This record gives sequence, structure tokens and C-alpha cells, in this order.
Amino acid sequence: MSTPTVQVPYLNISDPSFAMQSEELRAAREQSWYARTNYGIAVLRYDEVSKLLKSPKLSQGSAKWPAHNGVHGGLFYDWWTKNLLVLEGEDHHRIRRLLNPAFSPRLIKDLVPRFQALANELIDAFIDKGECEFIRDFAEPYATRVLTILLGIPESEWPTIARLASTVGLALGVTFKQDLDKVDAAVAELYEYAEGLIKDRQANPGEDFVSRLVLANRDGDRLSDEELRNALVLLIFGGMDTTRNQLGLAMQSFMHNPEQWELLAERPDLGGKAVEEVMRINPTVTWVTREAVEDFTYQDLFVEKGTTVHLFTQSSGTDPKAFPNPEMDLLGEHAPHYGFGGGVHHCLGHFVARADMSEALPLLASRIANPHLTGGDEWLPDSGNTGPIRLPIGFTKRS
Amino acid sequence: MKTIDVDRTLCDNHGQCAIAAPDVFRMNADGELEYEATFDDALLDVVEEAIDVCPVQAIFLKD
Repeated sequence: MSTPTVQVPYLNISDPSFAMQSEELRAAREQSWYARTNYGIAVLRYDEVSKLLKSPKLSQGSAKWPAHNGVHGGLFYDWWTKNLLVLEGEDHHRIRRLLNPAFSPRLIKDLVPRFQALANELIDAFIDKGECEFIRDFAEPYATRVLTILLGIPESEWPTIARLASTVGLALGVTFKQDLDKVDAAVAELYEYAEGLIKDRQANPGEDFVSRLVLANRDGDRLSDEELRNALVLLIFGGMDTTRNQLGLAMQSFMHNPEQWELLAERPDLGGKAVEEVMRINPTVTWVTREAVEDFTYQDLFVEKGTTVHLFTQSSGTDPKAFPNPEMDLLGEHAPHYGFGGGVHHCLGHFVARADMSEALPLLASRIANPHLTGGDEWLPDSGNTGPIRLPIGFTKRS
Repeated sequence: MKTIDVDRTLCDNHGQCAIAAPDVFRMNADGELEYEATFDDALLDVVEEAIDVCPVQAIFLKD
């Protein structure tokens, strides 16, 4: 084991008050490309995050999450151990190959008019009040109804989907074990939902997203009913909270950068850039977890097999070594961010998320001016997946 | 005959193409992309899947 040439900083990342956008983190990043943490190693700089995110020496690190929380069985456990997020090697690649075509950017593009109509409908409902609770009134219904559009279920059923997704999401929190019965009950309900959809599309296949999954076929290989069901549950689990939180964080970033909001209002064609910039400087997924599959040495660091490695997204996306002007700039040319993870586990649904958020943000900017906090905002901790729980804002309606 | 062109200024070595079309694209031991510019016509469908799935849309077909 080589001796580190600089003193290695330590970060207590499970402390609820730990802040990603803090002087402590910036100083640590300045001092060293990685920090030691109470969970293993945190990688702080862009080049190193980029390299290690895709390194074959690291596997996805969440497979043992239930076991780490004392959960060794049940519906969530069974689903988790068979879902694409934690599968590796050919087991992972086979399912990914069968799922990928349904997520093709060419097919997602057809949904854009639906996304626009939905955004406008939600804005219509609050625009004359001059204020809204942005999560309740926009981010959550938008994120969830996009899922219902994708799944081809009535949009009116979105509160059920939102409730089930949030309940299953408790599995990622520190109170997972206490919430286990609730989580398993929600998985059972989602299974029923997904099985109903699959049966319906098998009997009446169309051109829609779920039909494409049902009909997916590669060299005669198909997804089993169980694999289809697991994939639909993953879509709901992975697609709702993340998009809701990211939209809330986008609003926060634009409130800090009002001139960028005005630019977006004038230039709706910058919607795609707005999404990339927000995810670079203010991502909901604040770290991506990996685990060393073998002993290896990277730069000056010996990493022992089994070590947890957290790749910090916001820290890498604002690293002055890679971004000399790290501030939000919709007209800037910036290297890609890692808010969707990367490598073989790169987010499967990113084309959907990019498409729906890049429609929502310019529509919001073109209709409301001067968004600002009005008090009472509540936030998730910074560690893991972050974002606002409540975000009351005031604004001026544009004429 | 169509040939593959990867824009190396865009390619970020995620390796999704190597999952979609392993007969054409592969990641070496350093985690970097290697590929054949020419491919058997029978592989056109999977090459198109690889093009679609690339997170940074760095793969192109040339005539």
C-alpha cells in the first residue's frame, strides 16, 4: 500500500446536516481527489469520477443495501435482488438489451406534445394565484403523470402511482427496516398493477411503450412475465421521485440565477441545456455508489476488494479543474455531468427524463417571471437522493 | 456499405454500445471503447440499437 502524498480529508456523509455545496466539501476537493468517509471512499473531482464511474474494477454498490439494513427477505428484497439496478454481467446485459429499444430517443420524441400539454395544464391551475407550492402543484403531478403517459394508464390514476412510488422509496431511507411492512405492501400493489398492464397488452398489443416491452424480442429471447413486471416496477420506482426532486432543484437553481431564467424564457430552445446545467450543478442523485470487485490501485490509493466508493456528482460537476467557470450558464459549453450515473448502469430512463424536463422548464419560464421563495420550504438531507419536500414560491404572471 | 463512425470528442466510454452490439463494440481492460468500423449486414439492427442507446449520441453511420 502506497502512502498518500497529501493528507486525506474525512467527510461524515451520514450526518443529516452534511452539505454537498459547502466550504468543507470545496476545501476537501481542493486538497485531494478523494476523501475518506464513514461509508468508505468519496471521489470528489471530475476526472476521477469520470474514470471510476466506468471502471470494470467497480460494480454497482447497492446490491447489499437490504442486507446492510437487516432485511434478508420479503417482496422488496426479492424484487431488489432481481432488478436491473443491481444485476451484473450477462444477467444485466440480457435484460438491458431487451428493455433498451422501448426507451429509444426516437420513440420518446413522439410524447413531447403530451408533455407540453401536461405542463401547461398544471401551470394553468395556479398561474392566476401568483404563488404555488411547486412540488405539490407542479413537480410531483408532472413527474407522475409522465409515468402514466408512458405506461398508458389513465392520468387520473397518478395519485395512486405517486403514493406507491413514495412508499417503495422508503426502502432507500435509513428507516427501511421499520418501514418494511409498508414497503412490501406497496410492492405487492405495484406487482398487481404491473401484472394487469402486462396481461392487457399481451391480449391487445399496440404501439405504446408497454406493448413494446411485451413484444421485445432479441434472437428469439424475450422477457418473462416476471422480468416484465420487475422492469415496470423499476420504472415507477426510479422514474418518479428522481424527476420530481430534480424539477424542484431546477427551480431552486433558477431562483439563484434569475438572469438564466429570463434567458430560458426568451430562448425555449435552451430547454435541453437547462436540464444539463441544473443536473451538473444541482443534481438530485448526489452520489453514485460502487463497490470494488477486486483489490486495485488507482493513482496513489490502494482500494481493497469490497470497499464502498461513492462518486460525488455535484462536486465533480463543479470541479474548477474541469469547469473553470462552474456557474450555471445555459450558453456555456460544458463537459457532460454524471447526474444519470454512468457506465453499464447508466440511467435507463434518461431520454425520458431529459425530454420531459426540457419541455417543462422553458414552459414554466415563459409563463412565470421572478420566481422566489415565500417561506416554509422543507428539504431532504443532501446525502443520497436530495431535493425539496415542499417548495412554496411566489411569482409574477407574464402577460 | 455503411460504416461506423464514433465521434471521440463526444464518446464518454459508458459502454452501452458494447452491451447492445457486443459483436461490433467492446470495452478494453482500461474501460475504453474499441470497435470495427465495418460490420456484417446481418448486424445492422443491433448496430442501430447501439446508436440509439448511446447516452451521449456519439455513434454515426456513414454510407
